[in-house]
Amino acid sequence: MKTDAIVIGAGVVGCSVARSLSRYNLNVAVLEAGSDVAEGASKANSAIVHAGFDAKPGTNKAKFNVLGNRMFEDTCRELKVPFRRNGSLVLAFGPEEEKALQDLVAKAAANGVPVEVIGQEELRRREPNVSPEATAALWAPTGGICCPYELTFRTAENAAANGVEFVFDAKVEKIVRAEGDTGWKVVCADGREFEARALVNCAGIHSDELNNLVSATKYAIEARRGEYLMLDRDEDGTFAATMFQVPSKMGKGILVSPTVDGTVIVGPTAEDIPDKEDKATTYAGLEKVKAGARRTYPGLPLGKVITEFSGLRAHETTVGDFILGEAPDAPLFFNAVGVESPGLTSAPAIGEWLAEKVSERLGASKKNLSLISKDVSWWPKTSEMKPEELSELVARDPSFGRVICRCESVTEGEIRAAIRARVGARTLDGVKRRTRTGMGRCQGGFCTPRLIEILGAELGLPPEAFLKSRKTAPAALREQETGNWELGADGLGTGNRVLDVLVVGAGPAGLAAAVAAKDAGAKGVLVIERDDAPGGILQQCIHNGFGLHRFKEELTGPEYAQRYVDMAVERGIPVVCGTMVLDISPAKEGETATSVTAMSPRGGLKVYRTKSVVLAMGCRERPRGALMTPGTRPAGVYTAGTVQRLVNMDGIMPGKRVVILGSGDIGLIMARRLTFSGAKVLACIEIMKKSSGLMRNVVQCLNDYDIPLLLSHTVTDVEGREHVTGVKVSQVDDELKPIPGTEMHFDCDTLVLSCGLIPENELTKKAGVEMDPKTRGPKVDPKTMATSVPGIFAGGNVVRVYDLVDWVSRDSEIAGRSAAEYATSH
Amino acid sequence: MKMICINCPKGCELDVERAADGTITVTGHTCPRGEAYGRAELENPTRMVTGLVRVAGMRKPLPVKTKSPVPKGKISDVLFAMHQATVQLPVKIGDVIVADVAGTGIDLVATANM
Repeated sequence: MKTDAIVIGAGVVGCSVARSLSRYNLNVAVLEAGSDVAEGASKANSAIVHAGFDAKPGTNKAKFNVLGNRMFEDTCRELKVPFRRNGSLVLAFGPEEEKALQDLVAKAAANGVPVEVIGQEELRRREPNVSPEATAALWAPTGGICCPYELTFRTAENAAANGVEFVFDAKVEKIVRAEGDTGWKVVCADGREFEARALVNCAGIHSDELNNLVSATKYAIEARRGEYLMLDRDEDGTFAATMFQVPSKMGKGILVSPTVDGTVIVGPTAEDIPDKEDKATTYAGLEKVKAGARRTYPGLPLGKVITEFSGLRAHETTVGDFILGEAPDAPLFFNAVGVESPGLTSAPAIGEWLAEKVSERLGASKKNLSLISKDVSWWPKTSEMKPEELSELVARDPSFGRVICRCESVTEGEIRAAIRARVGARTLDGVKRRTRTGMGRCQGGFCTPRLIEILGAELGLPPEAFLKSRKTAPAALREQETGNWELGADGLGTGNRVLDVLVVGAGPAGLAAAVAAKDAGAKGVLVIERDDAPGGILQQCIHNGFGLHRFKEELTGPEYAQRYVDMAVERGIPVVCGTMVLDISPAKEGETATSVTAMSPRGGLKVYRTKSVVLAMGCRERPRGALMTPGTRPAGVYTAGTVQRLVNMDGIMPGKRVVILGSGDIGLIMARRLTFSGAKVLACIEIMKKSSGLMRNVVQCLNDYDIPLLLSHTVTDVEGREHVTGVKVSQVDDELKPIPGTEMHFDCDTLVLSCGLIPENELTKKAGVEMDPKTRGPKVDPKTMATSVPGIFAGGNVVRVYDLVDWVSRDSEIAGRSAAEYATSH
Repeated sequence: MKMICINCPKGCELDVERAADGTITVTGHTCPRGEAYGRAELENPTRMVTGLVRVAGMRKPLPVKTKSPVPKGKISDVLFAMHQATVQLPVKIGDVIVADVAGTGIDLVATANM
């Protein structure tokens, strides 16, 4: 392939250069070593658009930071990427640091960045959650936040729409002059060759290596690792601004900042490491993040951590600045070397500047083309759409009515669009970062199996292709059209009719409530279920041991569920499947009916009116992030429930050598199931002194098959880049801290997490129901299962996590009866 | 011999002893099922086996169980029989998938409607 210009590296800088180049009369290609754009620092950084008060005046960092910052509004508007100028605050703790603020004021003035110093009182007024130890702060109103990988995806998509070609899995190994000295020849690790008149080196952390292949001016990049914690969606708006601390030589210190997605990011550490691929998090690093963040935010709620990750900054050690422009001794070889922070902020400006230099040297003219492609809205975000827009979209394409990711409310249509895009997702991570699927609090526990199904169908690949590695899925088959999912019968209309009882969820809790409500005399009873079939999680619990109390016999999960399905069918209770309840608005003063908004592929958006509601959404598993297990983030780490779904429902075995972390009942049950299915379960690791699961499960799932249970132990490191290759396990002391010297190692390809369940209550909170911080479910009156909102009742694991489904059914029957009584008396 | 009863979530701690004359005494149980379990664990321990059977033409497997507990020593034979079997749909709960599985005299039955 011969082109005019090749950009090496599809991070935010490479994509920005490609997008800017696409405006010229040039053939442009982007070569990327990874399988997707934004695979390096662009996917793991602080997501901050820096104001520019920190960079040393006169440097490229200062120049492009300030230029880039000014471009962000327009760039993000053109690309439809969320961006917010929330402003930055740099905190000073005491007189010494207050002096340091004055240095920043001077730098800001030299860089042309507006700032002002505010005192403690004003600081506390603006940010009530800030530490009382902070005595003053620098306020920089032009600081902002954005989503770095979304910016990169959309930049790439726009470039592709303008004709830029993207080539993935193309790791550049050799660069030589092309035959006849007509340009450059690039040779990839897999033997593919590309020729271009000009090269632009945007290879991030590896950009020094590429430069050193062609130029006598050598550079050296050190990987500077930063570890982060991400906190769950912050409804209270803990901080309005991005909260920095006075910077040090190693960087801008630990920050606490809101993100454009509504979560809170905390970090990074700064540690120079020898290995340019080592993106593991560490115990010590995460401790440092916590300690640093507490300095700003003493109330840091560790219970809200949903994930932790690390990124590598490309820190150039010889110049210490962004190295931009044509190499002095290599004609038409352009560099963007050492673009570390503020690289994200600078990227749009670097892209413009480099594209201009390249086109000037190639003698290319500008196309009569707006940089803003009409194709830029290539995937609609249903969660941000107005109801009418959404209804129209669902009518056109029903897959936009099928919610796959419950936590972030992402539909099948959005996922398919992200896969079908020009620079489409080909991996689970690719879908996740483009659509936010699996980025919410359950971190993909529920939707991963669904996602595998959709990716497989879209790309024409077996599910296993997505389990082996975080990387490459082979060539795409974009044209394939699938989508043969079944829909539940959509029974009741909405019209003028008001239901007596609407039940959210058709697991055992919801069905038991609906049956009890009907038996207690409720007339219109309707159950709404997001899955394609009723039965809830019991469908995948194929082991026995259910129903001793309720049915006086021992049933398996699917059998137990079927009993309740049959009871609902006998009573003619309609169960609307494949439908996700999005919102519950309680009856206002003077009204009698609660409004429940639900979405389905066939029905689109519908508003049901009902006198009472029973919440029966169940619970979800605690994800890895909540446990703060250090290590890499490879494929092969699943929650026990995800493995249960994969094995029992989808017929997919995730691995052969398994370690289980946590001794919850699902983990114990899965130890046996995986053993039955041919895997070797090496150990079950429990941090506490006793198992959190039932003793009978320890006996019949572990002891029967000689699987060791290591109490007072925990996983202290997860190893493996693409796939899990092993875990380190240490004994812990009474404070649950790992004891040095007790470390042991397991070679394994799968780590299963079984660390407890949390009630699922997004809807409950939206409905304004008062929550119980202990159970993490709604506060209920145990006699009636009534919540704090009149007409709204709750039953089952949505209230608190039960050991036994029989008690779920019993309490949900109470909720159903109370709901019926409420409806008949109102 | 100390053991945990697996009949219900209570998990009673049983003490099961065999006297010189062969009679077995169970203590620590709180229900008749517990006593029977303790006795059986010494004489002929049994377990319910649940698992999956391949469905012709589908990736999704059918969940199955032994209709009653089978001798512990037979579990791997039962699992092998499950692995060998393939069923044709439709199937209803309780349908016999493999009769007299692994020579135990006990049937393997479906636990879901598919």
